[in-house]
Amino acid sequence: MASWLKMLKDLTVRSHVKEVRTPPPMPSDEDWVKPLSYLRIKELLSASTDIVFREFILKGKQDIQCSLAVVDGLIDKQIIDQFILKPLMVDFAGELEKMDLTQKTAPDLILSRLAPANEIKKIDKLGDALDGILSGDAVLFLGEESALLIGARGWVNRGVAEPQTESSVRGPREGLSETLRINTSLIRRKIKHPSLRIKSLKVGELTRTDIVVTYIESLASEDVLNELYDRLSRIKIDGVLESGYLEELIEDMPYSPFPQVTYTERPDVVAANLLEGKIAILVDGTPIALIVPVVFAEFMQVSEDYFERAMIVILVRFVRFAGVFLALLAPSIYIAVTNFHHEMLPTDLALSIAAGRENVPVPALLEALIMVFALEILQEAGLRLPRPMGQTIGIVGALIIGDAAVKANLVSPIMVIIVGLTAVATYAMPSYDVAIAIRLVRVPLMILAGSLGFFGIGVGLYALLIHLLCLRSFGTPYLSPIAPLRIRALLQDTFVRAPWWALKRRPHLIETKEPKTGGNS
Amino acid sequence: MERISVHQFMIVSASMALGITFFPIAQTVTKEAGRDGWWCVLPGFLAVLPFALMILSLFKRFPGKNLIEISDNIIGKWSAKGIGLVYISVSTLFGSHLLALVGDTFKRTVMPLIPDMVFIGSMLILVVMLVWAGIEVYGRFTEIVFPIVFLSLILTMLFSIPRFEWDQFYPVLANGIKPLAFGVLKVTSYGMQYILFLAGVLSFLPREQENQKRFKTEIQRALILVGMLNTLVVLIQIMVFGPDETKRLNFGLLTLGRMIEIGETISGIESLFMMFWMGAMIIRISGLFFMVLWGLRSVFGIKDELKWYLILAGVFYLVGSLASGPKFARTLDLIALYVNLPFASLWVLTVWGIAYWKQKGVQG
Repeated sequence: MASWLKMLKDLTVRSHVKEVRTPPPMPSDEDWVKPLSYLRIKELLSASTDIVFREFILKGKQDIQCSLAVVDGLIDKQIIDQFILKPLMVDFAGELEKMDLTQKTAPDLILSRLAPANEIKKIDKLGDALDGILSGDAVLFLGEESALLIGARGWVNRGVAEPQTESSVRGPREGLSETLRINTSLIRRKIKHPSLRIKSLKVGELTRTDIVVTYIESLASEDVLNELYDRLSRIKIDGVLESGYLEELIEDMPYSPFPQVTYTERPDVVAANLLEGKIAILVDGTPIALIVPVVFAEFMQVSEDYFERAMIVILVRFVRFAGVFLALLAPSIYIAVTNFHHEMLPTDLALSIAAGRENVPVPALLEALIMVFALEILQEAGLRLPRPMGQTIGIVGALIIGDAAVKANLVSPIMVIIVGLTAVATYAMPSYDVAIAIRLVRVPLMILAGSLGFFGIGVGLYALLIHLLCLRSFGTPYLSPIAPLRIRALLQDTFVRAPWWALKRRPHLIETKEPKTGGNS
Repeated sequence: MERISVHQFMIVSASMALGITFFPIAQTVTKEAGRDGWWCVLPGFLAVLPFALMILSLFKRFPGKNLIEISDNIIGKWSAKGIGLVYISVSTLFGSHLLALVGDTFKRTVMPLIPDMVFIGSMLILVVMLVWAGIEVYGRFTEIVFPIVFLSLILTMLFSIPRFEWDQFYPVLANGIKPLAFGVLKVTSYGMQYILFLAGVLSFLPREQENQKRFKTEIQRALILVGMLNTLVVLIQIMVFGPDETKRLNFGLLTLGRMIEIGETISGIESLFMMFWMGAMIIRISGLFFMVLWGLRSVFGIKDELKWYLILAGVFYLVGSLASGPKFARTLDLIALYVNLPFASLWVLTVWGIAYWKQKGVQG
């Protein structure tokens, strides 16, 4: 009985005593540049269960204590077994002594004769080993202070699929994926020229995210490139999980609603931009490539513009710019005309609008604001729901906003038409970011139109124009080639797209090293 | 240091020379020369050209300096400071009166119930935004806005063609040439505002030698373009309203806009055009705001700090508010004719003359 009581007491006491454990050590900043040390690596990583240290001995002239460090799940086990462990432990096990294997000769011997892996190199920094292991490579430690980094990355990935947000009727169907190396290979397949540069960097103190900066050396402006590297090097952040983190950290004016960095899911778009002298940034773990510098007119362009015939593209671009105009100004013009400038309307239309608004209890501005707000809620709700439910929301929204609200005299029929037109026009813009910016700017313009009519719209538009003129993307004025005026670029590839046979010289939208050639010359 | 390109210089020159002269010019010249008033416009603007060329020749010798700084070198520190003070005062007075005119124009034409202060305040916010953004952004702003203003003027004139009364054109020169001279003088007083702007903007022009010839060409182009455009503005008002009605109408161009009908669908589009012409007002007032700042920098050596912009905006607002009333539009004309014209012409002639004489002396 006494022993039972004692046991119970022990258990009770133990459950109340906080277990004091030493936290696993964190790599300090100095660790990354320190010389290699197997013990330190093991100290830093052995607390994680997914990290495997496969220790073995190579028996040569000297016995060498080896250890292969990998992250389970990030490596291709076949590479590890067939090209590292098997040759060392089975195929050449008996010949190591004859080969004069010692602690000093081991790295070179393995590199040149024993391990038939295609990516293999010597490393001497602790940081290189840590990065290698944690990025999915294998590190073979040969004793305490020397090691080989062996490319053995291999994990489950989505593969190359059709891009979801940038589908096209004509053109390639492949999209970028979450795996960096697949993305670089997709770009390399399109530009098979030695001038294509693919430079790797790491960003994020904790995530150590791999990013790739890619450009064509003979085209990309050195100033832009240096500025980009400068901005990337200044980033101090714990983690980069998506390209959006970088976008906000490197853009010129983060408080602007307008994007100053463009992005794409399509490798053909990346390649086309590189051919214009731009620079792409790929982030591991995201199927998006950021592209800099960018000008506003480029947000109105899609890849198909270059696959279709020029005349069709001219018409389609006109429709898109008309879409921007309508999305930005349709509700404001309606409010201004109905509140202040009736004289602009023909009598029949003015009477029809007045009749429609007769029983509506709120002023036109409030009516428009309610409708636009309801539309925004519907859009946001529809965006996140599973597809079948999204359609339901669309139908319910259309019925409630369209029919029921008009019958209940909450809004006038013409307002439904205006808001519907505005919504459709918003989707005519190829860039989601610009569409959001336009949606944001639309509301203050409506308020200005409701308070000051066309003068208010004028104030809003001129303020917007001044803001856009102040914007730059890596030094390139945002409204180029309209201001500063670049006639050739304006006529070749802005509001219109000249036929390929007329594109003798590269459109001078941004600063490039080689602006005079390009196109089909 | 910011710079504007040669093309931007041409557009800025045209925008500043045009300003909002298209509003009062028809009334001004028909008061002097009746139905022949349109003859005065182009010569009036071209009369400004020699002064512009003199300033450019000084810029060639003193690259990177504005005319106040050049005056400092040529006629001495204290004289230059005195000239700088007049430059600042004239620009402030003209700019703030122009602001008041903008408020008055909107109030009398399209928005009668809104107080003047709202127009003046809104315009001033835009002007400060633009000027704070710098001369490069200003140059780019004019590159976009000037063609729109130009096009809207051309459209107004084109849509007015059906209302032409061709007999208003005749008889030509019935009152002789003498009245034309007064008309030319008045138009030149408008153009002289551009000369004062040119005196300040010099330091932002590209200094390369190869651009010197292009500056001259671009100024000629700008003045001819503005002269021809304003000639058409006057001619069309005379043809539609006749000389007597043109003399009477304060905002003849807006009345033209009100009369426009496009296929019985859209009418009375003057409020729409006012929105475009607002751009011309912003350019002109911003130009004057810049001039005051350049003057303050040259005379007092102030730094590029936001507080100076805000203080100056306050001064513009205050003077603009006080300038309301029926007489201020006339005050604007008086400033142009009796202050701008003699000040700008005497200043440029004196500095250029002394510089030329000194150079001759050195060579001789």
